[in-house]
Amino acid sequence: MLVSINWIKQYVDLPENITKQELGEKFTLATCEVEKVEAINQYFDLVKIVKVTGVEPHPSADKLRLATVDLGNGESATIVCGAPNVRPGILVPYAPVWAVLPGDFAIEPRKIRGVESCGMLCGETELAIGDDDYGLKEFPEDAPVGMPLSKYLGIETDIIFDIDNKSITHRPDLWGHYGMAREFATVFKKELKDPFSAEWKSAIESKIVKGKSQVERVIEDGTACLAYCSAVVKNVKVGQSPDWLKNRLSSAGLRSINNIVDISNFVMLELGMPNHIFDLSEIKGNKIVIRQAGEDKEFVTLDEAVRNLEPTDSMVCDAERPLAIAGIMGGLNSGVSDSTTELFIETANWVDAMIRKTSTRIGLRTDSSLRFEKHLDSQQCKLAMYRIIDLICQICPDAVVEGDIEFGGVDSKPYSPVMITTSAKTITDTLGIFVDEAEIVDILQRLAFLVEKKGDKLSITVPSFRATKDVSCEADIIEEIGRIIGFDNITPVAPESSLTTVRLSPAKQKERRIKDFLVYSYKALEIMTYPMVGEALLKKAQWPELNEELVLVNSISRDADRMRPSLIPGVLKACAENVKNYSDFRFFEFGRSYHAGGEFAVEKPVLLVGAFSKKATPFMELQDKIEELCSVLRLRPRFEQKSLEQIVPSSWVGIHPFENVGVSAMGKPFAQIFTVHPSLMSEFKMKGFLSLAVVDLSNVMDVELSSNVKYLPLPKFPSSTFDCTVVVPSGEPVARLVEVVSKVKIKEIASVKIADIFEPEDSSKKYVTVRTVFQDRAATLTREFLENSYNQVVKSLEKAGFGLKVD
Amino acid sequence: MVEIVQKIKDEFELAFSQVKDKASLMNLKSEYVGKSGKIGLILKSLKDADVETKQQVGKDSNLLKGEVEQMITEKIKSFELEEINKNLEKKKIDISLRSSLQDKGLSSAGFHPVSAIQREIEDIFVSMGFDILDGPHIEDDYHNFEALNIPANHPARDMQDTFWFKDMKHLLRTHTSSIQVRGMESKQPPFKFVGPGKVFRCEATDASHEMVFHQLEGMMVGENISVANLIYFMKTLLSEIFKKETNVRLRPGFFPFVEPGFELDIECLICGGKGCSVCKQSGWVELLPCGMVHPNVLKYGNIDTSKYNGFAFGLGLDRLVMMRYGIDDIRNLHSGDLRFVSQFAEF
Ligand SMILES: [Zn+2]
Repeated sequence: MLVSINWIKQYVDLPENITKQELGEKFTLATCEVEKVEAINQYFDLVKIVKVTGVEPHPSADKLRLATVDLGNGESATIVCGAPNVRPGILVPYAPVWAVLPGDFAIEPRKIRGVESCGMLCGETELAIGDDDYGLKEFPEDAPVGMPLSKYLGIETDIIFDIDNKSITHRPDLWGHYGMAREFATVFKKELKDPFSAEWKSAIESKIVKGKSQVERVIEDGTACLAYCSAVVKNVKVGQSPDWLKNRLSSAGLRSINNIVDISNFVMLELGMPNHIFDLSEIKGNKIVIRQAGEDKEFVTLDEAVRNLEPTDSMVCDAERPLAIAGIMGGLNSGVSDSTTELFIETANWVDAMIRKTSTRIGLRTDSSLRFEKHLDSQQCKLAMYRIIDLICQICPDAVVEGDIEFGGVDSKPYSPVMITTSAKTITDTLGIFVDEAEIVDILQRLAFLVEKKGDKLSITVPSFRATKDVSCEADIIEEIGRIIGFDNITPVAPESSLTTVRLSPAKQKERRIKDFLVYSYKALEIMTYPMVGEALLKKAQWPELNEELVLVNSISRDADRMRPSLIPGVLKACAENVKNYSDFRFFEFGRSYHAGGEFAVEKPVLLVGAFSKKATPFMELQDKIEELCSVLRLRPRFEQKSLEQIVPSSWVGIHPFENVGVSAMGKPFAQIFTVHPSLMSEFKMKGFLSLAVVDLSNVMDVELSSNVKYLPLPKFPSSTFDCTVVVPSGEPVARLVEVVSKVKIKEIASVKIADIFEPEDSSKKYVTVRTVFQDRAATLTREFLENSYNQVVKSLEKAGFGLKVD
Repeated sequence: MVEIVQKIKDEFELAFSQVKDKASLMNLKSEYVGKSGKIGLILKSLKDADVETKQQVGKDSNLLKGEVEQMITEKIKSFELEEINKNLEKKKIDISLRSSLQDKGLSSAGFHPVSAIQREIEDIFVSMGFDILDGPHIEDDYHNFEALNIPANHPARDMQDTFWFKDMKHLLRTHTSSIQVRGMESKQPPFKFVGPGKVFRCEATDASHEMVFHQLEGMMVGENISVANLIYFMKTLLSEIFKKETNVRLRPGFFPFVEPGFELDIECLICGGKGCSVCKQSGWVELLPCGMVHPNVLKYGNIDTSKYNGFAFGLGLDRLVMMRYGIDDIRNLHSGDLRFVSQFAEF
């Protein structure tokens, strides 16, 4: 919103010795954000009328001359001038050094061809006061020498504040200049003038020709109407607005249309109350009905656009047809035209949410809807009506207000005030700075609150225009005081705090361990992909769940219209891009997958680790790392060559038939480690090997990290190692041998490992050496025991189908 | 030394100096100190000499024998070392060929910059006694709006800002402030916690706008907490984050869940407050919203507002990351592009 400081000055005298920047900053700190401070026409205060007293040739330039001018204050100046019409006796505009002319043209002290020029004599175009670019602008002989052009030409100079609309969404009272003026008056402790006094009101009332209005009004249920004030004014002459009115509107960014429309806009900009003026002769059947659009499907607004209506939209209609979309814009059919002589004036208030809903839907945000959206104060309808009538009577002195001003609607009853009780102590304690009670009372009174002292309490009555959705509790009053005394004036104080110890939650500890391990040990890069995906990507990844239940109603793009059922599709997409840049890489994402279920949705914490290589499958290194990760998380994993439905749906076709292992921990599915199937790789145009580990952390994150470490005294007796080499079919997983031997019931077995594998070429067999270590912590192992144990090991292997290798 | 011993000694030293390999050294050894070596024979050759002479020669030749043996032992050691070193040279590796010089694909490792800065800030808060909490991304109306004093028809609920699901009751959280509600549900005052995490806004994306980004919410509730405490706290926190004394200022800002509510500006870190293009000549940069927790919000959290109050704030993590590294396009953060994240690998 644009605020004209000149306009503000109509209601309050601002301090003299303050720059426009300081003014803007002070207002920003106390009230709302001033985004830009702009000076309008200020050069007209600097440019003066001067009289040329003499003209000499320039010593070194034929086309230039040296003009001596009388500045009107007893001083004179010499100016280099190239204008053809420069001659003694004429009165011309003179821009002194440092004036900034239109087009950011700054007059600087400079020498022209060796002669110092103190400023510039100007033409019409240079000052933007006309189109004549022949030479210097000449004023009549009787023009007062020394007078600034602003005064002579009657041009208003101004300062315009561009206020960030977002910073006043909660302050409907600031959407007009008078409300803003109240803030200025409070911030700078100046008196706010009251142009809307009781005397003023009764003067207007005296102009009304009493009687029932000729227009019958009906407000139907289910509409946005809160309050509706109306009046009929006749004998009006539509024409040009006076200059002051045009200037006010243009300073706030509006164009002048005609005197009646301009008055309507002026009152909106002054009091923040949008209003609408109809041509009375266009109101059919002398009847105004506020109703829902119902059967009416379309409406042509003032801007000649056809608007589609919903049956529940609120419309202002006559006996036959809609005339306006309530609170948003009038129609082409009933506006004020040059031939209009009789007016029906509406100052109404509408339900904020309903106006916002309709205006958003039809994509039409007007100065009017912008204000109604903020929840205006119905009490202001009548004031706005009085002000409109006041101005019409000023500008069209023959106008007649015919019939009573009518005020109705659910919200038209007298205001029952919002009362708040607080105390100077509460305010002081909450702000953390001492504020005197007298100052509190002064600030609140300036802001139009009524304050009554009751002991050490203050009983505060909120004015109706702040009781919108703005001020409703003690904290709101504290804010009023804080912002006016200036939050900047509060000295920072350390909070009192008791001694507490803090430890990271198990989930946070695990998250950090996981990330640290993958970065420092696996040398992987952490990535993030979008939690939302599109159907196209899920289909490309042949993902069996489309997560239709978790589709967003208002997604921005079809590529991100639902929550991801898995991190895999997004990661495949990212990998396909990374493959273009790198031959080998390792990465991980610590994120969530989203599933329908529970109350509405279940979010699983998921870790996805991936490794890609152009040359060879990274499956084994990845599997090893996940096993190490289990130990980092203090988990005892179980590896099985199968798919775990809970981690990756078994119907997904993206898994390699052999490089695939399921990991369980604490008896629950924990991870799936696999290589992506080559056919899916080619779908994503990737050549090479991509192995992924999907880790479902939902069962482990909140479990306290407990230590499994148990110290044993160092063994006093030697251990014994037994190697035996067995024949194994070449396709058989060797883990089976370890499993078999580990199950042998000898408590002295300390470890079972694979010591060697020899696989002859062109053979269906391999030779595997199993190393078993025996240890008795209490005694030396006897020869008999060892021989017996060795036999048991060999027998267990033979029983499982792995015979000893015969040399 | 007796002349004859001296003669043998000179003879040995000459021969020793000419030894080229281990084999000739061994020959020399047996020639002089072997069973019938020259030194041993000296004494035998003096059968007829007097006792005194014999004693002298015996002493000298023993001395010589010791010297010779030591010289030979040392020489053997040096021959052996030479041999080992020759072997080592044969097995010499190119120690200049460090892994980092070889093309083994992408070898850098590191954290995502948002996750790194998040941890850094979490640590600052933990050092000040704050817990770290999180909540669901898919929230209900109550936790994201209602309990934060954002009533039914508030513009903040409008379609243009919030991603809604089909039931129109669930949504993607638009701010980490919903963690405030979750925190109050699980804690008894006094408490202080932060809630970092992803938030979602229904906003067309471009270089400076994202539909998914990261915030860190903070809340402190206790007895007699004031605006002065809030300012002190924010100043301390931000000085720690920016690693230098940071000046802050508060100006009125409207957020339904705080009252009084503020926009917190920091003195421009680029120009130090003198005015530059980054701060639009104002000397201040808008950084975060904060304020005293609205009593309605505390009531929703079942907190006795006659006894407790507090403050809350929200910090945009993506913005901090972008400020720190001068990142020009916010969309890089969720791209999964390793060319982007590998730049933040710092070891
Ligand atoms: Zn700056």
